[in-house]
Amino acid sequence: MNALAPTGGGGGGGTDDLKEPPKRGRWVPYALLAPGMIWLVVFFLIPMLVQGGTSLQTGGLEKGYEFTWHFSTYWDALQTYYPQFLRSFGYAAAATVMCLVIGYPLAYAIAFKAGKWRGLWLVLVIAPFFTSFLVRTLAWKTILADNGIVVDVLNTLHFTDVTALLGLTEGDRVLATPLAVICGLTYNFLPFMVLPLYASLERIDPRLHEAANDLYADPKTTFRKVTFPLSLPGVVSGTLLTFIPASGDYVNAAWLGSPDTGMAGNVIQTQFLRVLDYPTAAALSFILMLLIVLMVSAYIRKAGTEELV
Amino acid sequence: MSEQQRAGASGDVNLVGLSKSFGSNTVVQPTDLTIPAGSFFAVLGASGCGKTTTLRMIAGLEEPTTGQVLIGGQDVTGLPPYKRPVNTVFQNYALFPHLSVAENVAFGLRRKGRKDVDGPVKEMLELVELGHLGGRKPAQLSGGQQQRVAVARALINHPQVLLLDEPLGALDLKLRRQMQLELKRIQTEVGITFVHVTHDQEEAMTMADTIAVMNGGVVEQLGSPADLYESPRTKFVANFLGQSNLLDTRITGTSGGYLLMDVHGTRMALPVDRTAAQGDQVVMGIRPEKIAIQHASAADSNGNRNRIDGGVIVDSSFIGVSTQYTVRMPWAQEITVFEQNMERDHRLVPGAPVVLHWNPDHGFGLAPEPATASAAVKA
Ligand SMILES: Nc1ncnc2c1ncn2[C@@H]1O[C@H](COP(=O)(O)OP(=O)(O)OP(=O)(O)O)[C@@H](O)[C@H]1O
Ligand SMILES: [Mg+2]
Repeated sequence: MNALAPTGGGGGGGTDDLKEPPKRGRWVPYALLAPGMIWLVVFFLIPMLVQGGTSLQTGGLEKGYEFTWHFSTYWDALQTYYPQFLRSFGYAAAATVMCLVIGYPLAYAIAFKAGKWRGLWLVLVIAPFFTSFLVRTLAWKTILADNGIVVDVLNTLHFTDVTALLGLTEGDRVLATPLAVICGLTYNFLPFMVLPLYASLERIDPRLHEAANDLYADPKTTFRKVTFPLSLPGVVSGTLLTFIPASGDYVNAAWLGSPDTGMAGNVIQTQFLRVLDYPTAAALSFILMLLIVLMVSAYIRKAGTEELV
Repeated sequence: MSEQQRAGASGDVNLVGLSKSFGSNTVVQPTDLTIPAGSFFAVLGASGCGKTTTLRMIAGLEEPTTGQVLIGGQDVTGLPPYKRPVNTVFQNYALFPHLSVAENVAFGLRRKGRKDVDGPVKEMLELVELGHLGGRKPAQLSGGQQQRVAVARALINHPQVLLLDEPLGALDLKLRRQMQLELKRIQTEVGITFVHVTHDQEEAMTMADTIAVMNGGVVEQLGSPADLYESPRTKFVANFLGQSNLLDTRITGTSGGYLLMDVHGTRMALPVDRTAAQGDQVVMGIRPEKIAIQHASAADSNGNRNRIDGGVIVDSSFIGVSTQYTVRMPWAQEITVFEQNMERDHRLVPGAPVVLHWNPDHGFGLAPEPATASAAVKA
């Protein structure tokens, strides 16, 4: 875009009235950007600087905190809490994969098979958002309750034996295990996966399927060579929209998990609100943010940003 | 079946009672059609007459409401498109946007398990003059270039039957002529059956061995280009392929293989075997270039040619190789005449009284429209 503007002006030669419009409109982009910028400065940049400051303080609740460039807080936090970080990313990754596995067929069916019921299906996908995040997560406590129907069935089918072998459940229980946390995360973030997937699938011209069919591709090959590649932008944005908030989540782990399933978000919450060790909490937040940024940029580089933008 | 027999029949396309309805709207009426293997078959017709729908049924992309499609004698009606030995050049190209031009062209070969696709793809792209653009994405091509990629993508598979849905519509005249020659050359060389849908009658006439003229979901007439032009059998064909003058007549008798008729008081003749109608009402058609025009004062007796006196030129336009006259008949009908510019008579200007005459063997007879309302109004 930027490269085009000067060319356009240059093409106009020396005529004044051709040069005029860009000059007049020059402030418009800034005006349009202003509200967003102000918002970001007030609610993102300033808090982040304050947090950054906090993370480098030392002291205690009684004596008060002092700014001392104490970088080793980061190192100590990482050493103490790396299991929670590993768990965070492990659970988030598992939930993202689950979302993709459940969400892709769902989005595909809505985009290509639902016909005039598309709108209704999309509303149903978003419907859970009409109730509070907390209530929905609490509901899963009931669903996965010991001796509940779901767990009974899973036990009868010996499903829990398999998950127990994988270390996802313990004994006959599902509640208070990693599996419960992953289920909660999957459930809560599924719409963030389905909607971008739907958007990119719905854009695909059905005539491309016909062309592939005509060129000897059976339905399976058509999916592999045409539909799936064309839906990749949706896959990339869906996984990002799921993975990023899931790895910072603490509600699911707190309500559906046990002390052994704590995620980074739970540690941060505890440090801030219970232990009141503000520097450690702030340092943990920064570590989480940094790790997410690193992972996401590696992922985007691999998946190719071209289609994303 | 011997090898030779099979090869000979492998590209035959037979449509048996094939029809298609969308809801209560029948867009292709039951059609029986045989397209011989290795022929260049053109389907010509106005927009919306069911050409694309017919092609889609042959390709397997549309399920026929009734009837069957046979390719090389084998009933393929129940086969999905990817199992039919047919490729299509789509009217809207339908190129894969995520694949490069070269990969688009290679798509069919790869599906058939070919590994060494680079050579054929390069050759094919060169053939459509896109050798240098193989690495681009379709979105980075012009409309005409995309169209040529679509042709290349289908042609490279050497299918038994190639369906082309207005494959040259987006090209400029020069490139269009060039691609026409190229397609025709490939078709003759490879011996593929081409079914070529087009709006452009000139394209159909120059390329095809056989033309089917469709109108309202019905094949009105089938034949060689010359056949269709010289002996159209319906008004639609007479006016869709070139121009025709149509005169309402009343049959008065026959004599020596000719129908004798009365045309608004003038006696005329028409060969019986060039008349596609029975009954005492026949519409006589005559092509504008078959009519001779003379100034009334210069007209001599024209032997046994069909002749109309008392015409008046209302318009003349010089087109270079010929001059086009519009002549008003005594009964107020206007007749178009094309006259080669050899010896121009300078008295032939608007307002001049003229005589028109033509060889009776050049006329053709059509059935009047079922509803003769228009004829009644004119008479
Ligand atoms: N899927 C469909 N549903 C309902 N009607 C359809 C459908 N496809 C085509 N038609 C109708 O069938 C008729 C024939 O369409 P078709 O595409 O075969 O025309 P065509 O001869 O190819 O025209 P053109 O020269 O404009 O491409 C049209 O009136 C069209 O509106
Ligand atoms: Mg069409």
